[in-house]
Amino acid sequence: MKWIIACLFSSFAAAAQTTLHGRVTDGEGQPMPGANITVKNTYDGASTGLDGLYQFVTAETGRQTLIISSIGYVSLEKPIDLQGASMTIDVVLREGINELESVVISAGAFTASDQNRRTVFKALDIATTAGATADIAGALNTLPGTQKVGESGRLFVRGGDGTETRTFIDGMVVLDAYGPAAPNTPSRGRFLPFMFKGTSFSTGGYSAEYGQALSSALALDSKDEDPTTRTDIGLLSVGADVAHTQAWKNGSWAGKAQYTNLRPYMNLINQEIDWIAPPASTELSTAFRQKVGSQGLFKFYGNADRNRFSLYQTPVGDEGNKEALELTNVYRYGNATYAQAFGDRWFWRSGVSYNFNQNQFDRMGSGLRERETGVHIKSVVEQTLSDRVEWKAGVELIHRQYSARWQADQSGIRVQGFTEPLWAAFAEVDVYASNHFVMRAGVRSEYNGLNQMVGIDPRASLAYKLGEGQVSLAYGRFRQSAANTWLRTDSKLASEKAEHIILNYQLIKSNRTFRAEAYYKNYVDLVKFQSATAQVPGAFVPFTQPLLNTGHGFAKGFELFWRDNQSIENADYWISYSYLDTQRDYLHFPTAAAPSFASAHNFSVVYKHFVSAIKSQIGFTYSFASGRFFHDPNRAGFQNARTPSYQDLSANVSYLPNPRVIIHFSCTNLLGRDNIFGYQFATEPDADGRYAERAIRQAAPRFVFLGVFITLSKTKGINQLPSL
Amino acid sequence: MKTLSVAVVLFAALVAQANDKKFEEAMAAPIQRVYTAEKIDELQTAVNTLDRIAQAEKTRWEPLYYAAFGYVMMANREAEAAKKDGYLDQALERIKKAAALNQNNSEVTALEGFVHMIRVTVDPATRGQQYSGLSMQAYGKAIQQDPNNPRALALMAQMQYGMAKFFNSPVTEACGLAQKAMTLFEAAKNESILTPAWGKGMTEGLLQQCQ
Repeated sequence: MKWIIACLFSSFAAAAQTTLHGRVTDGEGQPMPGANITVKNTYDGASTGLDGLYQFVTAETGRQTLIISSIGYVSLEKPIDLQGASMTIDVVLREGINELESVVISAGAFTASDQNRRTVFKALDIATTAGATADIAGALNTLPGTQKVGESGRLFVRGGDGTETRTFIDGMVVLDAYGPAAPNTPSRGRFLPFMFKGTSFSTGGYSAEYGQALSSALALDSKDEDPTTRTDIGLLSVGADVAHTQAWKNGSWAGKAQYTNLRPYMNLINQEIDWIAPPASTELSTAFRQKVGSQGLFKFYGNADRNRFSLYQTPVGDEGNKEALELTNVYRYGNATYAQAFGDRWFWRSGVSYNFNQNQFDRMGSGLRERETGVHIKSVVEQTLSDRVEWKAGVELIHRQYSARWQADQSGIRVQGFTEPLWAAFAEVDVYASNHFVMRAGVRSEYNGLNQMVGIDPRASLAYKLGEGQVSLAYGRFRQSAANTWLRTDSKLASEKAEHIILNYQLIKSNRTFRAEAYYKNYVDLVKFQSATAQVPGAFVPFTQPLLNTGHGFAKGFELFWRDNQSIENADYWISYSYLDTQRDYLHFPTAAAPSFASAHNFSVVYKHFVSAIKSQIGFTYSFASGRFFHDPNRAGFQNARTPSYQDLSANVSYLPNPRVIIHFSCTNLLGRDNIFGYQFATEPDADGRYAERAIRQAAPRFVFLGVFITLSKTKGINQLPSL
Repeated sequence: MKTLSVAVVLFAALVAQANDKKFEEAMAAPIQRVYTAEKIDELQTAVNTLDRIAQAEKTRWEPLYYAAFGYVMMANREAEAAKKDGYLDQALERIKKAAALNQNNSEVTALEGFVHMIRVTVDPATRGQQYSGLSMQAYGKAIQQDPNNPRALALMAQMQYGMAKFFNSPVTEACGLAQKAMTLFEAAKNESILTPAWGKGMTEGLLQQCQ
């Protein structure tokens, strides 16, 4: 009975009331409106007014906890003792670090993501850029920091050649990210943009997580589980594809088969290339996703591809002599990753990737077979220590095997190759001093089992908010194994190295972005021939020469970027300009000179307009690259001549007649400009002592593409727009 | 001894009932305000009250639901894209907590779809594809969970109407769905203040467009 009385007493006798009041301010003393003050585990409390003041009455007594919270600030808990008398409690809230407000490291980084909403470049941009024909590299080539090399199709970044950009899928290395292409025609990336939810393109100063890339890292994040069961059919002017996605509660499976054959197209449109069999390829790919528990995700992606073509080549100065060249490429790629979160502080991810690439060249009865197999194993741990500090650390092994096998003239079959196990460990920490200042420091260490050398590469960057914009600075040292061609003759070659320093300013305001960036890049330990002589471009490279690591070079320049999807209704455009000054003394160069893949000025404008009346998006891309140096053996000096400038105006139209169908049309080089990428010369001078020359031109003035994409699904409103 | 245990049980029941009454009384005013308030700071005050109730009543989904609804209304009234996204993030956070407390709740699922739908309006060109898909999915799931939830039907109708207009296809399906939602709205007897009661005005607007 006493107990009940005690209960009754406690619930009815709490007549003593306490009035609480005070002021909530931020770190700079400014009043904070809309903050929430709560007596923990009760309904009692109040919101602050515009002046940051609050006041309320509570019937609670004794020791209690006061919670003060506001969006964007770190919540505070304060012990209080309620005694019935009026209390004044003033509170200062500390600003929380949040994705929407804080500075980001922007030096060298272009991120396209659907997840992160503050990106300069969106995943969809890649698919809808005219002239890119849905090729990732093609779209990224409209961004500052890239140099257009029309006959290659790869990403050439800041004076680096195409092999200095490394592609990663879900953090796992891709050894050969581009499909094969006929000599002097652009190759396409092997991975289609629709597979990815995020693309992070770095033109320098990237994270310690990424190794084996001298100039640039292209990190692609594949999509998570697909929630919609559907079938996609594509009818293309150059082939057909069919894909099916099966979704279940916590996972999905997708398979795709694609056949392309350029023969009908090549027969229709006259080509510069004398094809015997134009490129034909069969590609199969599959993706599997499964959630494990509430915080784990398993992903698998696999791709198998066979590509073949043959053509006639005629040596320069010997036009009557036709040489047949045939290439067969067999490619397989597999990538399995597992990511697991432990609460909201710890995160663990691991993966394995497998690469197999084989090229069989046959030329006039003599063959060369190149084969590369690579396995990448990686494991990374990440921890958020507080809202201000996070770190990650990981270990990886990249194991490569390469062999080249060819028919030597008399001595029969020759084989050269190497096996390179490469161990690496890395660690990186991000520290936010406030929403205005962030620092990142990292280090990457590698042990190369082939040349038995250890490397330690520091990387650091910081960003500071300046008015409405921000300034970012990055430094890093990077290394990459010498090209397979050189390593197979001398496996003791050291890695080539580069150092980047980048200064960036970025301002994003009401759907407009302005970026300016300046950089300096230093190359050391580049591969160089012992007795370097000015060689005729395209001439046979003497493999027997001793190779040294004495090459070096530099690249410097600045870049501007402007994007606006605000000023013109339903339109979006961006403008990029890059200036590059680069020289290197490497390979056969007798002296430091600008390499043939570098152009001083690159400029591009991309414009996209959605016209509701015809339910179509229309896009234009204009690209300009100034002339590139080449070596003309008929003139004195080295790298002594320059090609005309490169110019291209491309257009595309995507028409959506209904939610299930997309019709896509694109055409490159509308104006039909005869772009010249360089010159080939005869290996021997003619009777007058001159080397005959031939311009390297586009295979055809234009490339026209028409595709119809149909989606069959029970869910309404799903189409293939992201896959275009 | 017997009388004592009866007294204890009676008392416990009394306390529980008093608590329910206290909860409903506390909820009434802020719910009314998230339905009617025009200004962002008024909505914030109502949301704060609901948040206080939510942290005291750890097993109730309603305060989380109405706080999320309040944030959706704030996002609706905010012009700046980054702030809009910030409010929607807050709404989604509460929806997730509410869904964990009360699985298969059609009202909560429909509100999630509403959040995705407003996300689209921030940047239709780049977000349309992803978020309209997500919102359609949520509405579909909400209708599955309760085929007679007028809000799920009305929001789905809204989405279908927009889609049909865009592709110049007939709006009959969307308008039929809106009509069905309207019938359910009119038949709804809102016995408790805690039962969601919004969306009728929006549906009336849609039906006017249908004519």
